[in-house]
Amino acid sequence: MRFVSFRPASCVLATAALLLVAAAPSQAQTRAETLRYVTGASVNTLDPNIPGSTRESFALSMSTYDRLVAFGRKQLNGKWVFDLDKITGELAESYDVSPDGLKLTFRLRKDAKFQDGSSVTAEDVKWSLDRCVTAPILGKAQLLTGSLTSADQFKVIDPLTIEVTLPKPDKLALPNLATVYPLIINSKVAKEHATADDPWATAWLKEHTAGSGAYVIESFKPGEQVIIKRNEDWNRGSPGKPAFFKRVIVQSVPEPATRANLVERGDADLVVDLQASDVQSLEAKGKLKVISTPQYNSITFVSMNNQIPPFDNVNVRRAVAFALPYEDMFKAALFGRGAPLFGANWPDGKPLNGIYPFQAPVKTDLDKAREYLKAAGLPEGFSTTFSFNVGQASTAEPMAALVKESLAKIGIKVDIQKLPDAQMSTQINEKKLPLFTEGIVAWLPSTDYFYRNFYTGNQRWNYSSINNPELATIAQEARFEPDKAKYEEDGRKLNAIHFSEMPQIPLWQPNQDAVMASSIEGYTYEFHRQVDYRDVSRK
Amino acid sequence: MMTGFGATVARAGRRLLSSLPALFGVLVFTFLLMRVLPGDPAVFFASGPNAGKEEIEQIRKQMGLDKSVPEQLVFYLSDIGRGNLGRSMMTGQPVLKDLRERLPASLELTFTALLIALIAAVPLGVVAALKPGSLVDHGVRLFCALGVCVPTFVSGLLLIYVFYYLLGLAPDPTGRIDVFTSLPPQRTGFLSIDFLLAGDIEGWWAACKQLILPAVSMALFVIAPLARITRASMLVSLGSDFVRTARSVGLSWQKVVVTYALRNAILPVITIAGIVFSTMLGANVLVEKVFSWPGVASYALDALLSSDYAPVQGFVLLMASLFVMVNLVVDICYGIADPRVSIG
Repeated sequence: MRFVSFRPASCVLATAALLLVAAAPSQAQTRAETLRYVTGASVNTLDPNIPGSTRESFALSMSTYDRLVAFGRKQLNGKWVFDLDKITGELAESYDVSPDGLKLTFRLRKDAKFQDGSSVTAEDVKWSLDRCVTAPILGKAQLLTGSLTSADQFKVIDPLTIEVTLPKPDKLALPNLATVYPLIINSKVAKEHATADDPWATAWLKEHTAGSGAYVIESFKPGEQVIIKRNEDWNRGSPGKPAFFKRVIVQSVPEPATRANLVERGDADLVVDLQASDVQSLEAKGKLKVISTPQYNSITFVSMNNQIPPFDNVNVRRAVAFALPYEDMFKAALFGRGAPLFGANWPDGKPLNGIYPFQAPVKTDLDKAREYLKAAGLPEGFSTTFSFNVGQASTAEPMAALVKESLAKIGIKVDIQKLPDAQMSTQINEKKLPLFTEGIVAWLPSTDYFYRNFYTGNQRWNYSSINNPELATIAQEARFEPDKAKYEEDGRKLNAIHFSEMPQIPLWQPNQDAVMASSIEGYTYEFHRQVDYRDVSRK
Repeated sequence: MMTGFGATVARAGRRLLSSLPALFGVLVFTFLLMRVLPGDPAVFFASGPNAGKEEIEQIRKQMGLDKSVPEQLVFYLSDIGRGNLGRSMMTGQPVLKDLRERLPASLELTFTALLIALIAAVPLGVVAALKPGSLVDHGVRLFCALGVCVPTFVSGLLLIYVFYYLLGLAPDPTGRIDVFTSLPPQRTGFLSIDFLLAGDIEGWWAACKQLILPAVSMALFVIAPLARITRASMLVSLGSDFVRTARSVGLSWQKVVVTYALRNAILPVITIAGIVFSTMLGANVLVEKVFSWPGVASYALDALLSSDYAPVQGFVLLMASLFVMVNLVVDICYGIADPRVSIG
């Protein structure tokens, strides 16, 4: 038995009454220079490349490491969001793309230093990019989407210049270098900690950082909190200035109601994962700043397994598409906080543009649904299950009840299945679920990227298991299509196939509701759907 | 007296030895149970935006899941033998380290809660037993019923709402210590003790303030069984011959109730307190979640949801060992409360 003393506890009791009169003194001086960010998730590794790393780890790495390039930002309906088309230098002072699109040349900033004071050189960049495409880490699969697959593609020209060669003019090569994974590591430090089994120092980098980023790790308690402090030498944001906050506390608070209380009381400065109902009431009170951005690189949908009867019949899928109670679901699950992907009007029955995700001309029309069911030879309906994972219960649970109720009206009997997260991903991977709801996100949301990754191949992310050769061919061609007009035409074709085949039913793009103290400024919706601590400042 | 003490120690030793096979059983059972549960941890953890088959295989290998179950079991047992509980995918840390950091948090909370509960429950039970059927008795019954009816997370959220949100008296309910307070050097892992050892009264007070609300919401839930048991066994004790005799020879009220009645009535309370303690330690997951308390229960729940085998197995082993320990302590307390027991 451990050493146990009861005395402090009895003091607790004796002083319990005192608590009622003593208020907590706040440390006002450092508080204004500190950003306290609370989240339901937690950081589990300091290197986002480690398999199993969380989204919070992605966000943290944006502040502790630099990349060659970064996404710019733009205003969308008055809110700042990341800009996929504007790529600016981060460690690179400038970059050139050769006219044939096969060579990218990056010139590094002369003043860029790692946190240990040594200069960032082209050798470090090469080592880091080599690691990303060679080591068994997450970056490998990501960079593959930008035709970056081999260490031979990265060449050091001189200490401040590095050249990247591509096999094909891939539009996504450059944006890929701005994503989370290809972070630039201090190769001298990392090599010291490399071992024969682990030549890329993955074990060491999981718990240590060796970067040039805006913040330095002060303390890291996995599952609880991370505290980072400002790197005063970092000037990659606004010229000549480090990041605004001197300290950032990233704290895990699992209970959403507690997070809402914290930010409302002013003890926390910023939170992005509150429940929709809490956001609505906080917004109504008007004390805090609420910035709601539709997550325009993510989609929630109801998916059907196109290989399992009866969903292998396109008319059954259409019947479901016209039987879902869209408006009610949107209100019950999200309190209307998001961008709907239903209820569009296509005057000539053709897609309005070639952008995916698109708003589809589907709405609740039970007569039409019954007709489709009849055409499928199932006028009496059938029985099936509707699954969702526990992690999404707050939105998916009310949704599931409504789906069940509405599908019952056309004779489809639905059993609701709530699965633990690991079980749900296993069943999806094994293609065992007939009908379920899921969400997807793409860091680099281009039409062909969505279709290639989420609608082709016998792989996990092809949730609907659709196998449509025409769709696969067009999506593959579009990837390397240099002509914008033709690309747009390909997109229209893909969207038309999507609507007629109805492999799965896009519902909406949920809002990212960032709730913050009214003094916080500069919040930007980032591709990784977390807060980039370098963006924000206090008035 | 010395022989009595020696007998207690010997008995404790025997009990400890005889519990080893049970511990081993728990170990193997949990191991197999985790593997039987549907849900593949490799698939779950390979959920980066581009994770495919290759990543899944890699995680499987990393977790040792590419081997057959008997092989895995042998590896697992030999690891345990060397004091290695494996690595958590969730936090990326060795399970032993995680548990070592989190167990003091859970223990501190549970001890405080149990203490609050005992301090409240025993007098309540005694008072109720002294005047059965009176208004006081009914009042105690009502209070206990309320405590049991309200789930801990509801009472927790209510306490937060009133004392933190509305009145602003309690500190923000985020873990063991205010984020702006610096931690004392770690000695026992119990913050309230470590702060005292470091002589930091301000820090100690900060830690205590964080502790009060979660401890009270846990205590509320267990006051009922403790108070009811105290009442029942006090009633038996008060109605027994020796109390009647004691009264008849004119002993003081205090001597009768406290020395004779209560000492005899306390045995079942100790048993229940032991059980309550073990249950609280594992079942306080809701309180830990609501107050962001970095304890072992919420750790195990998160691990279970993501099918992270190593932490769940480690947690169950820890709980089983603690249960053995608690039973031992209860046994020893028995011996102290009632010397007759040591004969058995």
